[in-house]
Amino acid sequence: MATLDTGPRAKLKWGLLDAVVVVFALIPVLWVVSLSLKTTATLTDGNFIPREWTLDNYRLIFQTDQFVRALINSIGIALISTLIAVVLGTMAAYAISRLDFPGKALLVGVSLLIAMFPQVSLVSPLFNIERQTGLFDTWPGLILPYITFALPLAIYTLSAFFKQIPWDLEKAAKMDGATQAEAFRKVIAPLAAPGVFTTAILVFIFCWNDFLFAISLTSTEQSRTVPVALSFFTGASQFEDPTGAISAAAVVITIPIILFVLFFQKRIVAGLTSGAVKG
Amino acid sequence: MSVSSTTPATTAEELSEGGRRELPQKRAKAALSEGKRQERRLGWLLCAPAALVMVAVTAYPILYSFWLSLQRYDLKFPSEREFVWFANYATVLSNGYWWTAFGVTLLITVVSVAVELVLGMALALVMHRTLIGRGLVRTSALIPYGIVTVVAAFSWRYAWTPSTGYLANLLSDGAPLTERASALSIIILAEIWKTTPFMALLLMAGLALVPEDLLKAASMDGASAWQRFTRVMLPVMKPAILVALLFRTLDAFRVFDNIYVLTNGANETSSVSMIAYNNLMKGLNLGIGSTMSVLIFLAVAIIAFVFVKLFGTAAPGSSDEGRR
Amino acid sequence: MARDDRHPRRRTMRARVAAAGAALALTAPMAACGSDGEGGVPTLNLYQFPVESFQHVIDTCNQQANGRYRVVYQVLPRTADDQRVQMVRRLAAEDDSMDILGLDVTWTQEFASADWILEWTGADKAAIEDGTLPGPLASAEYKNRLYAAPNNTNVQLLWYRKDLVSSPPKTWDEMISQAQRLKSAGKKPFQILTMGAQYEGLVVLFNSLVASAGGHVVDDSGDKAVMDAGTVKALRVMKKLATSGVVSPSFSNSIEDDVRLAYQSGAGAFEVNWPYVYASMQGDAPQILAKTGWARYPAIDANTPSVTTIGGSNMAVSAYSKHPGLAFEAIKCLRNAENQEYLAINAGQAPSIEAVYDRPDMAKAYPMRETLLEELKDAAPRPRTPAYQNLSTVVAAELSPPSAIDPQRTADSLRTSIQKAIDSQGVLP
Repeated sequence: MATLDTGPRAKLKWGLLDAVVVVFALIPVLWVVSLSLKTTATLTDGNFIPREWTLDNYRLIFQTDQFVRALINSIGIALISTLIAVVLGTMAAYAISRLDFPGKALLVGVSLLIAMFPQVSLVSPLFNIERQTGLFDTWPGLILPYITFALPLAIYTLSAFFKQIPWDLEKAAKMDGATQAEAFRKVIAPLAAPGVFTTAILVFIFCWNDFLFAISLTSTEQSRTVPVALSFFTGASQFEDPTGAISAAAVVITIPIILFVLFFQKRIVAGLTSGAVKG
Repeated sequence: MSVSSTTPATTAEELSEGGRRELPQKRAKAALSEGKRQERRLGWLLCAPAALVMVAVTAYPILYSFWLSLQRYDLKFPSEREFVWFANYATVLSNGYWWTAFGVTLLITVVSVAVELVLGMALALVMHRTLIGRGLVRTSALIPYGIVTVVAAFSWRYAWTPSTGYLANLLSDGAPLTERASALSIIILAEIWKTTPFMALLLMAGLALVPEDLLKAASMDGASAWQRFTRVMLPVMKPAILVALLFRTLDAFRVFDNIYVLTNGANETSSVSMIAYNNLMKGLNLGIGSTMSVLIFLAVAIIAFVFVKLFGTAAPGSSDEGRR
Repeated sequence: MARDDRHPRRRTMRARVAAAGAALALTAPMAACGSDGEGGVPTLNLYQFPVESFQHVIDTCNQQANGRYRVVYQVLPRTADDQRVQMVRRLAAEDDSMDILGLDVTWTQEFASADWILEWTGADKAAIEDGTLPGPLASAEYKNRLYAAPNNTNVQLLWYRKDLVSSPPKTWDEMISQAQRLKSAGKKPFQILTMGAQYEGLVVLFNSLVASAGGHVVDDSGDKAVMDAGTVKALRVMKKLATSGVVSPSFSNSIEDDVRLAYQSGAGAFEVNWPYVYASMQGDAPQILAKTGWARYPAIDANTPSVTTIGGSNMAVSAYSKHPGLAFEAIKCLRNAENQEYLAINAGQAPSIEAVYDRPDMAKAYPMRETLLEELKDAAPRPRTPAYQNLSTVVAAELSPPSAIDPQRTADSLRTSIQKAIDSQGVLP
């Protein structure tokens, strides 16, 4: 912990700690990858590294409607929810960070409450409401609760970002003769874009991750998302264990997460900690 | 369980700071300038859609849930629907399964949050202070945070399945997921793995607020590393720690995904979320299921209240938050 | 709101059923010219658990339908719980894409009570009742109405080692004392193997004992928990079995496959299990099979024949089907004698139509068919209540472990919890 010690011994110590963290974080992921690449014969050998490699599991899942439809649902539902939540969130966050109006604290309080809300408490009523209104087992039936629970996240993250934008630049640009629209497009938009983008990633991860709503409010391939489809996999035949197929599908839906983390690590960390680091 | 969904350390106070500064002007309502009025209207207009969606999808259903919980409403007996006042509450609150699930949920919550706090603090220190490979560490740590919980749960399930799993083979006998104690331990382990990074990120935000020169000064005064940690860092970080604890506690209390995949509630490993889901989806009993929904909502409200009142966690609207 | 919206909802329900009835009368003549609205052959979606060779049966019926309908097999997940939850969720949402439902026998009353499946009436009903064994038929009834067509059926038999026991025991008491004699004579194996884990299998054991003792868990309407003297008698036998010292040490943890494997490995003198163990022994343990005989399920009293719990599955028509008339017709084909025989031979599913057992090819697939048939004629369904799912959960929980049963007290507490389950006050764990 010594802040002053930067010698080679300290480097070694931190290097070892780093290694522990990396191993801790990656082993379960590598294990699923390994399972997905094992042949049926070696699936139950318990080896961490496959003895025989195959891509059959991936071929299998992409041939089944069950998985492909679920993947389309997952992508579609997460993207639409993200888009709507970010647009609504941006509007609200802009108002919260820039404008003065009564009821602002209330809105922020409500968002915070919803962030803490036990989602399972909504399952019974939403199940009944949706089955009576016909929203059950449709995309909007899932998008609606996703937006709701993503909004607090979006509003908080965006408000924190917006507060860091030097809004005076807008004024300066206008004084330099730029119109309102130009000032926004040339000065504010480029400054706000990274925050909006980061928020979109966080919201997408949230929607991509959901299981409880997806399993409660869907019943068919029409709207079932991948996390739920995984738990319904039956394998190629009645007696074949679906372990390999589940693992392959699990790897496929982990890929976007890995990509986000690899390319936008700094942004995600900033997004998750922004509020606290810089008030 | 889901990814915790907000950056808790940002508070109402901070966000509405702008509003407060101009408080005196607010009183002069009659004298509101045209510009001010426009600003108000714009503010409401911009917030309306978000507020509407949030309230419509949570407030209405929870009230509706309360209404359903006062009825005998069982899809198996559609013709027997009737108003029964609080009979469902008596049924649930006198039921052994409910209390077992409640105990399991509390156990998972307390143990996993406690361990996460310690591990999360360690991870936060590593992420914040490491001299080499900071990007690598942060990137790796984000993977458990981002990965789909169900995927991670399947990974743990197969790891602990006899003959298939690398971990199960370390044990000489038995199937750990079919014994209550070991199954609960694995569920807690899966929770900890998944959410420690999130806890660490929240704590890291607090860590960043510790003034570097204060640490240096303490170091000069001969304080040991442990003393610097407990005397300098912890007090500064206290608000961040409490907020992180509050959010993770409420999140852990909702545990569902891991249990569903790992044990499906067998051998008395159901959480309250699991039992509510089962009574609704397997039992088709909307009355009992809604009663459980309301009870879980109340439990969460009580936990939040305890944190705010007893531990002084900065809650939205309280004045000591955002002044760090 | 409860009272307000209840009536409209019930009205739609009734309207649908009425419409279904009308459709029933209309579709037959209209179907020939394609009543789907989109033209072409109406599709009937059949939702059922995975059954080997079932596609062949469907193809046969589709061919015989000659363009009037086309059944499409939608395979449900492997575990009973998942199958049920998937169907139930769609039915709760009034999904009209399901036409024919393959139901576990224990779900039939639940689906009937929920108005999710249509009643069989008139000529269709008569066709199903004709030649079907009474036990399986009873499993498809609710409140004296027929709601499904029994497809396949199942009952457990007693399997015993001919080399150790000269004549198979008639009663549980006799079996226990035979096993104890083997044990004290130092003979091995001596154990009685059957399912005693906390799950449906334990409820099946309990139900068979209750029925054999002439007892009742619930009354005939399924609305009231009874738990009479017969059930206490049954609980006494269960307790005696569990504490006799001749069951396997893992009795209270055993499910079907544990029992099958233990017997195959030569660990038991007696096994009470489903007929599938026969085919399995043929393949995996022929030397044990050579020494194995089978007999009727043990009774409680030597003078009263045993009554065994029925397993198997029924087929029903969804209340939301767009083609109920055709669905009834298709079910009649899917479960007719020829197809039942085909599935008996190719998928190991025991037929629900009595005459099928007499067919020549059945002798090879079912050498135990006479015993099976004898049991089936006297068999009893599990408690016929819509709350069966709940009932089964509490029964399994209260009876586990069987060695801790206190007959009268257990019966009393079961009566209370079963009544609660029936009154929608049961809580699932």
